[in-house]
Amino acid sequence: MAVVDPTGLSSVVEVPQGGAGPASAGGVRPARGLGRLVPIVVLIACGLFFILPLLAMARFALQNVPMIRLGWSTLFDRWSFSGITKAFDEAEFRTSLSLSLKLALGTVILTQALLLPTTLWVHLRLPKARAFVEFLTVLPYVIPPIALVAGILPIKPHARWFLNSDYSLIPFYTVLALPFTFRAIDAGVRALDVRTLVDASRSLGAGWGTTLRRVMIPNLRTAIISSSFLTAAVVLGEFTVARVLLKETLPLFMFEYQQREPQGGIGLGLLAIVATTAIFAILSLVTRKRGMSRPATTVL
Amino acid sequence: MTEAVLVDGGRTLRAAPAAPAIKAPRNWDWLGLVPFLAFLALFLVVPAFAVFSKAFVDEQGNFGLEAFQDAFSGQNLDAFKFSVRLSALSAATGVVVGGFLAYAAASIRRPKWLRSLVTAFSGVAANLGGVPLAFAFIALLGRQGLATRILSELGYDLYGNGFQLDTTTGFVSVYSYFNIPLMVLITLPAIDGLKVAWREACANLGGTTFTYWRRIGLPVLLPSLLGGFLLLFANSFSAYATARAMTDQSLIVPLRIQFYLSGDFAGQDQLGFSLAAWMIIIMSVSMGLYWVLRKRAERWQS
Repeated sequence: MAVVDPTGLSSVVEVPQGGAGPASAGGVRPARGLGRLVPIVVLIACGLFFILPLLAMARFALQNVPMIRLGWSTLFDRWSFSGITKAFDEAEFRTSLSLSLKLALGTVILTQALLLPTTLWVHLRLPKARAFVEFLTVLPYVIPPIALVAGILPIKPHARWFLNSDYSLIPFYTVLALPFTFRAIDAGVRALDVRTLVDASRSLGAGWGTTLRRVMIPNLRTAIISSSFLTAAVVLGEFTVARVLLKETLPLFMFEYQQREPQGGIGLGLLAIVATTAIFAILSLVTRKRGMSRPATTVL
Repeated sequence: MTEAVLVDGGRTLRAAPAAPAIKAPRNWDWLGLVPFLAFLALFLVVPAFAVFSKAFVDEQGNFGLEAFQDAFSGQNLDAFKFSVRLSALSAATGVVVGGFLAYAAASIRRPKWLRSLVTAFSGVAANLGGVPLAFAFIALLGRQGLATRILSELGYDLYGNGFQLDTTTGFVSVYSYFNIPLMVLITLPAIDGLKVAWREACANLGGTTFTYWRRIGLPVLLPSLLGGFLLLFANSFSAYATARAMTDQSLIVPLRIQFYLSGDFAGQDQLGFSLAAWMIIIMSVSMGLYWVLRKRAERWQS
């Protein structure tokens, strides 16, 4: 029995209080007396730690009252979106947003084109290679963005035609997102009986293309959607590679704009956090509805 | 017929039985991996190789270890020390607080949604970071920050007491924002893996709560906690974007790499590559150890 069943299905057996009797349900037992307070204190303290920065950020971005004049009397004065709308009016904002969105789309397409066939192939034909492939997909974690981009610079003189284009970021972003995307797709493929589906499809006369398009992709919808959201989240937040290669993506604009216009910059940061949260919320909804064991939001 | 056992984040699954080997005398199936491998070679292996070759070969094309050693002296050594200290401290903070938070989330039964809230939020916060996160902390703990103001109302002068966002304390506070949730995500399955029977057995043998934790609970959790430490260490050590938005100085290794790479220092850019090479080495060691510990931790989480 699981200690605390995430589904809440396990029943809690009540044990009479007192005595040295063992705890009721699980290695983690409901604490008594002072011990009961500890988890509550921990939760409240952590809650404050995680909420306060966001509140401070929202106040900074949305309220036009200098910190020195902030007090109970001015708490509700002069809240507005003006800082953020001013940032929206910047021409660079629009170009950087459009570049980031195009990069996200490109990375999603490249990731799917690369990983779907590979993962299916591994499951169908090379089950022994799965651990190896998984190991490879974790490598971007070992070679962090700053080291990866350091390695791109020496190549630059040999591949200017490629690296001068803003879209040359796409393959590198595909690499950076690999630890997330491979696991999401792999979990989806593993939840299916790929072999039976393929055999059924093939024996009904479908070619490989039709099998992929009409059998695999519809069945892997959840995995495809969640890995695409993860990819988008990675691309829209990526800063390091873009900065060293001097590509004007959204995070870079945000960084530079904040130095000119602190309020607007922090406002954009707030929007970025809201957007990331939305992406992950949608992600967990999608994966939960389809009964996948857990959202593949963690790397390892 | 062999049965492969696949392990995934604490879940042990039995794979579909491998297909009976098909006739072919020679197996060409691996060719299907070529596009993927070629892609990785081009966009991951080549850059990694370039880092090391640049680190070992100087401008004149001679092989040498000087730059590799220079990366470990003077200001660079300071950056390494600072990076290691702050990553270790952030990791320790993350392990302790994250461990307690995971335990708290696992032990509180009512309300039921609390645990889901903690896991869902951890999933999001573990992935926050970079420039926006740094902004949030500038708004909170900067000179004009909300907490700075609140503390001064309460009579504590934060900056008067030597606080800066770009000190160890500042970095640790910011990095904790993604480290603690990551720790929660990796420890919860381990805490769930503690079995009732063990606690009962301990109690039946006359053990107290203390004995239980000392002899059973902590030893079982230890690989998870140590593994978590390494993962958080690696996570903090490689963070660039968050740090960049918090400070203009090249205090930590990732910032120093960029400082050299930006190319304002003729003939010095080799140092950037050496630092990057060292970084890859340190990351490989901590992630490798993490991998080993994770396998150990999964023993109890069937």
